[in-house]
Amino acid sequence: MRPSRWIVVVSTVLLCACGRSNTATAPRSVTVYVSTDRVFSEPVLQEYQRQSGVTVNAVYDTEETKSTGLANRLLAEQARPQADVFWSNEPVRTLMLKSRGVLAPYRSPNAEGIPAVLRDPEGYWTGFSARMRVIAYNTKLVRAQDAPQSVLDLADPKWKGQIAIADPRFGSTSFHVAAIYAVLGDEKADDFFRRLKANDVRVVDGNSVVRDLVVRGEVKVGLTDTDDVNVALEAGQPIGMVLPDRDGMGVPVMPNLVSLVRNAPHVDEGQKLVDYLLSPDVERMLAQSEAVQIPLHEGVPGPKNMPAITSFKPMMLDYSKAAARVEDVTARLASILGL
Amino acid sequence: MWMVPRSRSLILGGAVGVFLVTGVLPLVYMIVTSARDVPFGVLLLDERQRALVYNSGLMAGATSVWAALIGVPLGFGLARVPMPRRAMVRVALATPVLLPPYVVALAWTYIGGSAGFVAALIGRDVFSDWTYSLPAAAVVLALVYYPIVMLATEAALRQMDTHLEEAGIVAAPPGRVLVRITMPLVAPAIGGAALIVFVLAISEFGVPALLRVRVYTTEVFTAFAALFDFARATALTLPLLVLAAGGSAVAATLLRERVIAGQRRQNATDVLDLARWRVLIRLLSVATIITALVIPIVVLLREAAGTSIVGAATASWPSIRISLLLALVGATLVVLIGATLGYARARAPSRIGRVADITWVVLFAVPSTITGVALIGLWNRPSFPGVVYGTFSMLVLVYLARFVPVAALIVAAGVRQIPVSHEEAAAVGGAGWLGTVRSVVVPQIVRAVGAAWVVAFVFAFGELGASILVSPAGESTLPIRIYTLIANTPSSVVASLALLQLTVIFLPLALGALHVMRRSNA
Repeated sequence: MRPSRWIVVVSTVLLCACGRSNTATAPRSVTVYVSTDRVFSEPVLQEYQRQSGVTVNAVYDTEETKSTGLANRLLAEQARPQADVFWSNEPVRTLMLKSRGVLAPYRSPNAEGIPAVLRDPEGYWTGFSARMRVIAYNTKLVRAQDAPQSVLDLADPKWKGQIAIADPRFGSTSFHVAAIYAVLGDEKADDFFRRLKANDVRVVDGNSVVRDLVVRGEVKVGLTDTDDVNVALEAGQPIGMVLPDRDGMGVPVMPNLVSLVRNAPHVDEGQKLVDYLLSPDVERMLAQSEAVQIPLHEGVPGPKNMPAITSFKPMMLDYSKAAARVEDVTARLASILGL
Repeated sequence: MWMVPRSRSLILGGAVGVFLVTGVLPLVYMIVTSARDVPFGVLLLDERQRALVYNSGLMAGATSVWAALIGVPLGFGLARVPMPRRAMVRVALATPVLLPPYVVALAWTYIGGSAGFVAALIGRDVFSDWTYSLPAAAVVLALVYYPIVMLATEAALRQMDTHLEEAGIVAAPPGRVLVRITMPLVAPAIGGAALIVFVLAISEFGVPALLRVRVYTTEVFTAFAALFDFARATALTLPLLVLAAGGSAVAATLLRERVIAGQRRQNATDVLDLARWRVLIRLLSVATIITALVIPIVVLLREAAGTSIVGAATASWPSIRISLLLALVGATLVVLIGATLGYARARAPSRIGRVADITWVVLFAVPSTITGVALIGLWNRPSFPGVVYGTFSMLVLVYLARFVPVAALIVAAGVRQIPVSHEEAAAVGGAGWLGTVRSVVVPQIVRAVGAAWVVAFVFAFGELGASILVSPAGESTLPIRIYTLIANTPSSVVASLALLQLTVIFLPLALGALHVMRRSNA
């Protein structure tokens, strides 16, 4: 082919590729940044698009350790926001974004019925559909009655070399360790993590990796999330889970958090999407999906194989205070665990 | 006569302008906007920083050495040792560079983990400590990147002046000719390729993160993803760039401005009688193909058993289509700009040329997240930038920012092998600059430009770190789709998606290579 023809071909392709209009400006559209796993959140958003006729432009996140994620995109876009709504699967990022002025207050009528502790008093975020942090164990290697019942049991020398946790600087694990520090206090928490280090804990890059290590028997036990374990359970893999500290400091509960973005381009559509996400219907969908998330509205049936939130003692936390400790806790753990 | 300097100035100046705006400006923007908040304490060489410098330099250096140890003999084999089905062997040996390094590392953890294939085979875990280590990260990266050294070595051998070897063989045995004449002539190409591998390794995040090796890229990532601290991340990037500049300066000092000027010969296997190495080269080729290609793919296939790659492909078709289109456009633009800059560098005074090389290497080492955040800051603005922001053009800007330097380095190496006298002769004959480039230079750098295009296409297709920050809402490239699906997806589906990514990038390149080979034969 002559060079001039190549230029024509390339120019045409270039125009096709780059001339696409900005989908976020289409009539009746809403842009949502989603850190909740795509396999779970995409069907919910598709259903909203089907019901409402509003085009949903979603940007999904990777697992926390695979890319720097949407919270950084929201921060970088703060001067000229592109997103209307931020749907997070854990509290840390939302609370950081609130403190940096990225979010706007909005009190959805559908937030009524959700426990007050899971709603921001100022209206910057509202929780829905919760996950829990759990101890996963390999059912071929550990009998149910022998599995650790408390996170603190993982420091027992009998589990030496047999424990995995996700990098505690990221995602839901960062929230969990901040919560442990908030509940135990710095001295006891430092001591626990030192003993965990002495137990040769394996720090890996994500909760799904913890689950996979447990399933493959590379470790006997690991700290991960309910949805990660459930995916393996549904696949018939040899894994079980324990809700830790039911009788002690309480089971760590992590709700999804939804927020409106400050100066969002489509405020009305954003508010409608927030209303939808906080509806009992969405909690029902997330409970019935593989996400097995626990509804926070009363009367919504919970997922199979999961206890109702009223049946155990949840870890009582001031999320803002716990999240405010994340940077300090990150530095402490980097030193203690040698990260 | 005034048209000649004008067209040259316009084209070279235009390319430099585009490069400054798309490649240099983002880094300058991040440094300037972060300057007042930079925690300079993180730059102090305390114990942690010294460990980061050591680990980053060692991992990248070891990767380059391993890649050279594998790639150079194979390059010699492909160029000089009689070999049946050479084209097919070359494709098989080059294919590992298409594998995403993270996926290869993942496959190796399935093999070497404490409950992996090796442990299951011998009944105990003797391998897992090594699997999660810095040497393992270097080996995994070398197994992905050695084709760059291999292809550069083969191309240089095919391009060199074989008359020098023919003269040498009259008075010396083949081994001595190889060491004294051939190796010094192809050393610049090998060194240039090893430098590219060094920079690729030093800027790699996925493999050290998975294998728990603490390097600067993982530290920059932590500053972003755990602390949301742009200034700290930018500050931590600076030592990484100094390391890249250091590697580049060392390479420039060692290689100086050596040029392989000469006459191309299509078949140079008869100059040095290397037939006695035939068995060794074949064994090395087979071992490399098995280790770098077959084993990771078999492991992924085994892991993916029970899931449908076809089903994954069908569901991902819109992402596949847009990824291929964007990589096609991006690679073409990258090569247009990179080739022009590469020509300018090759014909510039040596001191300017060395500065250009170091600049490109440094820019190529900039972590992708830094590029992504900078592009948001530069383009997410009212009026014209705002029109571009939120479209696929942003992804093309990512490719230009990240990959023009590598295209320029590759093409510059190709242009430097063409004696200036060729262009001077054309000018004396009355040809203008454009005509000279078109008729004299381009035909001699087709291979280098082709190699730059393939490299840019592969990199653009697999780009994730910056793309995920600037991709239009509601749209995904294939890597974004795969990485957003990985979370909470069974490992079997992850493996099938990884195989899908490999297949999607391999097929068009294989078909293109087949087309070129048929045309060449015709």
